Amino acid sequence: MAAESKLSLQNALLTLEQLQHTPSMQDGFTEQQEDDMRQMGCHLIQSAGILLKLPQVAMATAQILFQRFFYQASLRKFAVRDISMGSIFLAAKVEECPCRMRDLVNVVDYLCKTFKRLPTIEPLALYGHEFYEMKNAAVIAEMQILKKLGFNVHVQLPYGIMVNYLKVLNLTDHPTIPQRAWGYLNDGLRTNVYICYQPPTIACSVVWLAAREAGVPLPTNPPWWEVLDASLEDVENIAGHIKTLYYRSLPISTLPLRIEQVEPWLVSQGQ
Amino acid sequence: MASVAASLSSRSAKQKAEVARNYQKDGKVGEGAYAVVYSGIQLSTKRKVAIKKIKLGQFRDGLDMSAIREVKTLQELRHPNVVELVEVFYQKTNLNLVLEFLESDLEMVIKDKSIVFMPGDVKHWMLMTLRGLDHCHRNWILHRDMKPNNLLIGHDGQLKIADFGLARDFGDRGRQLTSQVVTRWYRAPELLFGAREYGYGVDIWAVGCIFAELLLRNPYLPGNSDMDQINIMFQALGTPTEADWPGLSTLPNFMQYRQYPKTPLRLLFTAAGADTLELLESMLIYDPNKRISAREALLHPYFFNKPRPTKLENLPKPARETEQAVLKRKAAELGELTNAPKKR
Repeated sequence: MAAESKLSLQNALLTLEQLQHTPSMQDGFTEQQEDDMRQMGCHLIQSAGILLKLPQVAMATAQILFQRFFYQASLRKFAVRDISMGSIFLAAKVEECPCRMRDLVNVVDYLCKTFKRLPTIEPLALYGHEFYEMKNAAVIAEMQILKKLGFNVHVQLPYGIMVNYLKVLNLTDHPTIPQRAWGYLNDGLRTNVYICYQPPTIACSVVWLAAREAGVPLPTNPPWWEVLDASLEDVENIAGHIKTLYYRSLPISTLPLRIEQVEPWLVSQGQ
Repeated sequence: MASVAASLSSRSAKQKAEVARNYQKDGKVGEGAYAVVYSGIQLSTKRKVAIKKIKLGQFRDGLDMSAIREVKTLQELRHPNVVELVEVFYQKTNLNLVLEFLESDLEMVIKDKSIVFMPGDVKHWMLMTLRGLDHCHRNWILHRDMKPNNLLIGHDGQLKIADFGLARDFGDRGRQLTSQVVTRWYRAPELLFGAREYGYGVDIWAVGCIFAELLLRNPYLPGNSDMDQINIMFQALGTPTEADWPGLSTLPNFMQYRQYPKTPLRLLFTAAGADTLELLESMLIYDPNKRISAREALLHPYFFNKPRPTKLENLPKPARETEQAVLKRKAAELGELTNAPKKR
């Protein structure tokens, strides 16, 4: 809560209770359905950020805000498209690289159409009904995020820490490890690891995973992760979470982006 | 999970309503670009607070950047010389920031000509300003709007830095910042020349100007346009050369300017001691890299030499204004705001 927040070198984390009984699950979503929706939202944010030429920190912050939000609110009440827009809009301000509303709306609209495999040639008419509706949705979403998160918009990211760890382990010049570990940090935003673990633990885990896949042995006596204050259990857990992303392709064209699409989708899923 | 350092908010709607009910709004005390400020009471503690009601939804671009900056930075800072953010709450569609309430500010004290400043008074105000600023800088936060009006003074005499609407973190080198910050009279030379990379030096320059203002009882460099500001600054401190300030001529808005000689500070500040002038001078060095830091300034002999800083309870305060006088003055200030030199 804002009232209790202190110097925030740490991120707000979930309690086990919050993780097991999310608002969406209480609202009739299965775990798989909720995961898919979260992944789609993060995919939308990351892609929009690239098109808007935002720095990666803004996209990372936006995805974390998005993830946090849906532990406070249900996917039945808030549309993934709107909250994604609100997250980008807010994160861009938090990270001091504000984006123009007009660009944001057009980019998100374009991506939503691509997700649905619809023709994407025309940008939205400026001041048209659709544009106006989306702009409004973004402003409201921003407010909802602030409200539900009690203005706790501070996000610590593991990118810098990871680079330091790579240096400590003499891995910065390795041909694949730094890039791969960085990629895992980006992809990990689509899972809940950023709201279950602190940034240094996540940084350890992606380095561990990347080094393991490259077949590079690292000191185990004492184990290097212990020197960096991470436990093997956490490191393996995070790595496992991130890896699950690659075993299932997201049925993105069928997932509901707007609130009026949610009910029919849930019904069709039930069959 | 592994650790629950700061768990996500899980307050129910009912609890949230109670938070709002804990505050009673009284009179309006000011109005800014994005917020209206009320004085109020925290009912559970009877503590007097300032409630900053942020206008939401009236803007095309959602919540104002300055509101986000203010909350983001104040959540991180806890220091006796930085204004405290007590709480943030929502009421209907309004966002309310609850801040400590302090009745006056340094500008009011300077303007109250019935008060005579003792050297020890100035020393204590400078000490508190620099302590608060050092805390900001050590947390990698630039204030970017240091001026007497933003240094609030409580009934106990404690000075606190307020208004973090322009504040931002500056740890990340190579990121471009805007030079359109700080109220003009307190704006550092690198900003006037359009520098896009700068650091804590901009706040220190402003503190130097405040220091000078405390000694003079008048604004030190009161330019009435950006050009005039440069002119007045050069007249007072001499025109800088490439030797004084390497890299000067590469700044975006640099221009050749007529050469003014440097006048020694002691000709203007006739009553100030040698240590006072030495500290002032090190804050007003043109080259931001040579300018003193808040930390170094706090260790300057000025703060250890006699006279000692005046005790908190003995610091002068502006005459207690009647409610009506406050409203009148605030109204006058509001009118002034539209004309007065202002950032952005």
